[in-house]
Amino acid sequence: MSIGRDGIAGLILLAISLVLLVQSFQLPSLPIVPVGPGFYPAIVLSFMAAGSALLVLQDLLSHRAPVVATAPDTPRRNYRLVVIAFAIVGFYVALLPLLGFRVATALFVGALQAALGRPRTARQWAVLAAIALGTAAVSYFVFERYLLVLLPRGAWTGF
Amino acid sequence: MLDLLWHGLVNIAQWKYLLPLFAGTFIGVIGGSLPGVTITMTVIVVLPFTYGLDPLAGLAAMTGVYVGGSTGGLIACCLLGIPGSPASIATTFDGFPMSRNGEPGRAIWLGVWASVWGGLLGALFLVFLTGPLAAIALEFGPWEYFSLFVLAMAMVAGLTESSLLKGLISTAFGLLITLVGHDPIGSVPRFTFGSEFIGGGFPFLPVLIGIFAFAQIMTDLEKLNLPHGHAPESLAGIRLERFSHLKVNLEIFRQPFLLAWATIVGLIIGILPAIGGSASSVMAYDQAKKFSKTPERFGKGHPEGIIASEASNNANVSGSLMTIMAFGIPGDAVTAVMLGAMTIHGIQSGPLFISQNPDLAYGIYAAYILAHPCMLLICVALMPLMLRVTSVRMAVLAPVVLVLCVVGAYALNNTMQSVYVLLLFGVVGYVLVKLGFPLAPLILGLILGDQIEINLVRAIMTDADPWLFLTRPISGGLLLAAAASVVAAIWQHMRHQNRVIEEEPDF
Repeated sequence: MSIGRDGIAGLILLAISLVLLVQSFQLPSLPIVPVGPGFYPAIVLSFMAAGSALLVLQDLLSHRAPVVATAPDTPRRNYRLVVIAFAIVGFYVALLPLLGFRVATALFVGALQAALGRPRTARQWAVLAAIALGTAAVSYFVFERYLLVLLPRGAWTGF
Repeated sequence: MLDLLWHGLVNIAQWKYLLPLFAGTFIGVIGGSLPGVTITMTVIVVLPFTYGLDPLAGLAAMTGVYVGGSTGGLIACCLLGIPGSPASIATTFDGFPMSRNGEPGRAIWLGVWASVWGGLLGALFLVFLTGPLAAIALEFGPWEYFSLFVLAMAMVAGLTESSLLKGLISTAFGLLITLVGHDPIGSVPRFTFGSEFIGGGFPFLPVLIGIFAFAQIMTDLEKLNLPHGHAPESLAGIRLERFSHLKVNLEIFRQPFLLAWATIVGLIIGILPAIGGSASSVMAYDQAKKFSKTPERFGKGHPEGIIASEASNNANVSGSLMTIMAFGIPGDAVTAVMLGAMTIHGIQSGPLFISQNPDLAYGIYAAYILAHPCMLLICVALMPLMLRVTSVRMAVLAPVVLVLCVVGAYALNNTMQSVYVLLLFGVVGYVLVKLGFPLAPLILGLILGDQIEINLVRAIMTDADPWLFLTRPISGGLLLAAAASVVAAIWQHMRHQNRVIEEEPDF
């Protein structure tokens, strides 16, 4: 009997809800409140555990049923690009407190643009740089100068 | 009431409110016209800009985005055949064929004017019915509130396009996120594992931005750099033909019943929690087709289809605002963000909101009403620019929107912790989308989680008898409606499955 994507998701959610459910029973009760802090979490987690178990069951049963042919012309998805985009966002978030908002944002916008559509000519590179610097500058002036929102300062750059 | 409304209109006509309203409407129209950028995402992006404004100015900007976004979506519908926002989906059915028939101007302006009239008619209901709704809400005790929240979540989970089970799990997951941190009654730490990072719980807005905006952008990036064999024939770059605004309006008012009915459909769907603009536009379109003398013309560039869809999705906004102002329950993801914005500005919405904050409440009504002429003005003045905006590349758009998301999360309390939460839930949101879990129930669970717990515990503290949830007439009725909603969703799902099996050819 094979398990599908839904089944795996259901198993992970079931494990999470059971672990937390055990924890919710261990929460201390309060003398003035008739129900303790674990009462409501226990309801939510029981509901989630039951739903996840049903999802696993549904997935197992669906694998027994004859497979309906899927549409053959569904376009393929560019997951590589998504992984790269998440990695670039991760680097941006890591660099923000080190380089500060202005430098990190300019680098991030430039890098992500290049990853999403690689420029081929000098003009395209210039446009990319202008958008990167422009986004950093405009957002800095609007937020920090006009709306008085203090944006991250860089530990390495000092601004 | 009319005095208060007049005062609200005069108040909002000041530059300090008019400017944010106009800017919000402008950004809403642009955001709505960009395929792949939803109104929710646009509202989220605009939110940090409102932190420094006074509450009414901030809410006026958000209302402008909501109204502008509901209309802006029709531009991409008519010119590209792709809904700029889900709320405009039914406009595509006749808007794009009408444009292909050589009348893109007629298609766009029919939609814009129908939005204006649908929205303004909806405003009448908003002004005159929100008060009575709030009066009903005043009769609610913790039992009724608890049951109402359960109904809202059951409806959202049941109305999701994917499986009901996944909708319910998604709701529970949203509730689970709110459990992390201190419990709202006794402040006992729960599920924090001794970590300082999550000691105070997950901040609502970074979670919302991560799950909704990040996940949406990443999903759009999947389709980048692929052959566009599936994209419909585009009309981008086309110039609008000469048209008469008077003629377009006459065309709309020749069918007053259609306009009124589409508005009412939109309004009712707006009031019902979390069904959303896309459902309202499709339902109004469907109703228009059923009542039409010429149903065979639908789908081929029929003006009735555009009028019904657009009048309905703008009236939907007024319905959602009614729910948020009378009950403090967000009608959809956009009003969820608005509710978050209200909290940030220290405003508690709910049945007492109008009586305790009449200036603010009537200011929001006035902002909603004035957003429509603003939107019309923006469309008239900037249509050539907007026609070009629809062709902005995702490679340019995505990094800019992501920067605004990060700033929005950071600016909430000026700590990197919010940004880390944003990134974490960006990944979680994307994984959930890929696994087929609908996000709308999750977000409703996230928003209502604390309130459900508070009302549940409050009800038990008042009277420990659990049967009261069922025996109190309104509470019992609401729980019954919640159960009926789930049963109806199961029945619909089974009927759909049976139809699929029947339609499968026998080999």
